Amino acid sequence: MTAGAAGRSCRGRFIRRGAIALVAVAVGVFSASFAGAASPTPEEIARGKYIFGATGGCGCHTKPKDPVNSGGRRYDLPFGTVYSSNITPDKETGIGGWTDDQILTAIRLGRRPNGERLTPVHPYLEFNGMTEEDARAVIAFLRTLPAVKRAPPANQLKVPLFGSVFLPAWLATFATYEKPRASAPTSGIERGEYLVRVLGHCSECHTPRTMTMASDNTRFLAGTAKGPENAEIPNITPDKDTGLTWTVEQIADFLGTGNKPDGDVVGGLMGEVIEGTAAGYKDLTQADRLAIAQYLKSVPAIKNKIGK
Amino acid sequence: MRHVSVKAGAMVIGLGTLALAGYAAAQYQLAKMTPAEIVTERQRVMKLNGASWADAQAKLKAGNAEAVAVNAETMAFLAREIPMLFPEGSTTADSKAKPEIWQKWPEFESAAKNFQMQAEKLRDAAKTKDLAATEAVAKDFGRQACGTCHTPFRVPPPRT
Repeated sequence: MTAGAAGRSCRGRFIRRGAIALVAVAVGVFSASFAGAASPTPEEIARGKYIFGATGGCGCHTKPKDPVNSGGRRYDLPFGTVYSSNITPDKETGIGGWTDDQILTAIRLGRRPNGERLTPVHPYLEFNGMTEEDARAVIAFLRTLPAVKRAPPANQLKVPLFGSVFLPAWLATFATYEKPRASAPTSGIERGEYLVRVLGHCSECHTPRTMTMASDNTRFLAGTAKGPENAEIPNITPDKDTGLTWTVEQIADFLGTGNKPDGDVVGGLMGEVIEGTAAGYKDLTQADRLAIAQYLKSVPAIKNKIGK
Repeated sequence: MRHVSVKAGAMVIGLGTLALAGYAAAQYQLAKMTPAEIVTERQRVMKLNGASWADAQAKLKAGNAEAVAVNAETMAFLAREIPMLFPEGSTTADSKAKPEIWQKWPEFESAAKNFQMQAEKLRDAAKTKDLAATEAVAKDFGRQACGTCHTPFRVPPPRT
């Protein structure tokens, strides 16, 4: 073989290899973008179910014993009566006709595709802090659940121009949003903080409200005698007289089982969020339940006696 | 002859039921009790259930499955008394009973029955002395035996 022939052959091999590599990259890019747009992986759906459970199973969207996420649950508020939305993939009465981005905007920013604001019973003040990755996983999971055709009753609001004037003004004046997060902490107190403040939206029930109905964050998680469904909601700050004095392990166990250290078993709304719907707090990993407990031990202790 | 014995058998069962009902009524003398007394009585029963469940969990943590049987049997026995401890109108400011109990009475009764059956399941698992099997039943017992009734029918009491 001459030197020239060897050189041509090498060049030929190089070109062939280059072409193969280019095709491989092109196929890879194409299939990756296709998979990203059209079909979430089973891992992403499982992850979405886990996040869904960490919110308490989005239980407000399910009337007890009704199909999951079919909505219509009634909430009596000072400014009227509202009903939760159907968030099943039904195209007419649910969110089946919404794009992922539209659902993402509703979950985190509280806006419907037509721009209307959701009543902040949907905890978008908290979910504003949900990472995009977590929210998109939840959306992928929501789309796997059975579609149910059922429109909730119309909201009956007592305040005139509620959606167009009152609510935007209220949000601008009194609401505090969780800061957006680029990535979710994976361990430690930071993980617990994300689970408590954002996903679990514990504050919605456990933080008392001011006269304006906004959360009184100077008394974060200090409980209230007038919680949802007129229930007394315990103070879960670590105050030694009036707060949560259970050990970290007891708190973690409670979130998984509903069992309290004295042998009682929780009921009411806390029982609901632990049990969840398609998933609930009970499905959190032990590591995440311990992280929640550790975070609860770290918040400022506030003296606020609830009940006798 | 056979006809007569069936009739007699039915009578025995009937009398037995009456006697049981009489026993229950006599035990609690519900008709003579004020709502406040009834509430006190049922809170006593529920505290005993709670103590039994706490004790059962402690025994399991210590690895003693067999000893759980008596706690489970206590709960199974007390579970049967729950419906009669909730006569209509027996509420006071101290009571955490929701009005849904009387609005959905068959559901309430079946929740009490479910509690009894779950407690019997826990008892039977404990009797086998098999720790893993007993723990498997105990794992979901709180939520599935107690929580399924507390969630719809009890106003959550403040944590003490």
